[in-house]
Amino acid sequence: MACSATLAKMHGCPEDRIEDLKTVVAEAAINAMQHGNRGRPESRVTVKIEVAEDTIHVAVMDEGEGLREEVADPDIERVIANNAPAVGFGLFLMRKLADLIEFDRMSEGGHRVRMAVRMQSKAQLRKPEAHLAVGNRG
Amino acid sequence: MAMQQQTNEVTFETRGDVMVIYIQGDITAFSETKLNEAYRSATGQGAVRLLLKIAADAYINSGGIAVLIQILAQTSRNRQVIGITGVSEHFKKIFSMVGITKFATIYPSIEEALEKMAVSAA
Repeated sequence: MACSATLAKMHGCPEDRIEDLKTVVAEAAINAMQHGNRGRPESRVTVKIEVAEDTIHVAVMDEGEGLREEVADPDIERVIANNAPAVGFGLFLMRKLADLIEFDRMSEGGHRVRMAVRMQSKAQLRKPEAHLAVGNRG
Repeated sequence: MAMQQQTNEVTFETRGDVMVIYIQGDITAFSETKLNEAYRSATGQGAVRLLLKIAADAYINSGGIAVLIQILAQTSRNRQVIGITGVSEHFKKIFSMVGITKFATIYPSIEEALEKMAVSAA
């Protein structure tokens, strides 16, 4: 998390986007450890961070199989009304804060989540989506 | 990559009508026991208006958000009023995204919270 922030800062990323980046990297790493690797200490989580033009690309790899089904956004009102487990907020934050997020199973085994975080503040952004495409670095 | 288990230090102070709960340290899933104990203790002392004071440099992840939501659920059931202060701009945004701000008011300072949360201000 601190490494991603340092890298972003070196490239002139504004503070609000650095905070978003720190959150998405941390949440992806937590998911990889807890859900991907199911807490197995011998399993590896790898985090790759690259900066290309105005975008920070993050890939978090684990040794699991990834999501088996689409995960709905959590509903806090339902959680509070029914005393239901408060789960799914990490993935929700990753979806909300990253400008692009993709999940895939790697051909060599394991699961990868790739995210792109633009360095401009979201308030300054105009689009277009095509600019955000993350290449397959396999 | 090993997860580092940290602990929180939690202290209380009654200020007028409000029980202020000061939380030192990051708020993560590991905070669950300490924060639930703090909530139960405050409620046991008759607190109806609670203010969570989070440390200015605290990191809060989704596990910590889940812990806070559990506390909000309890305050809702127990008809208590809850406020939160000490939160950075980033976490204010996060709290709004996840819906915490529907159940707890975020205040810029303890003083403003105490003023707005006082029974006389209700």
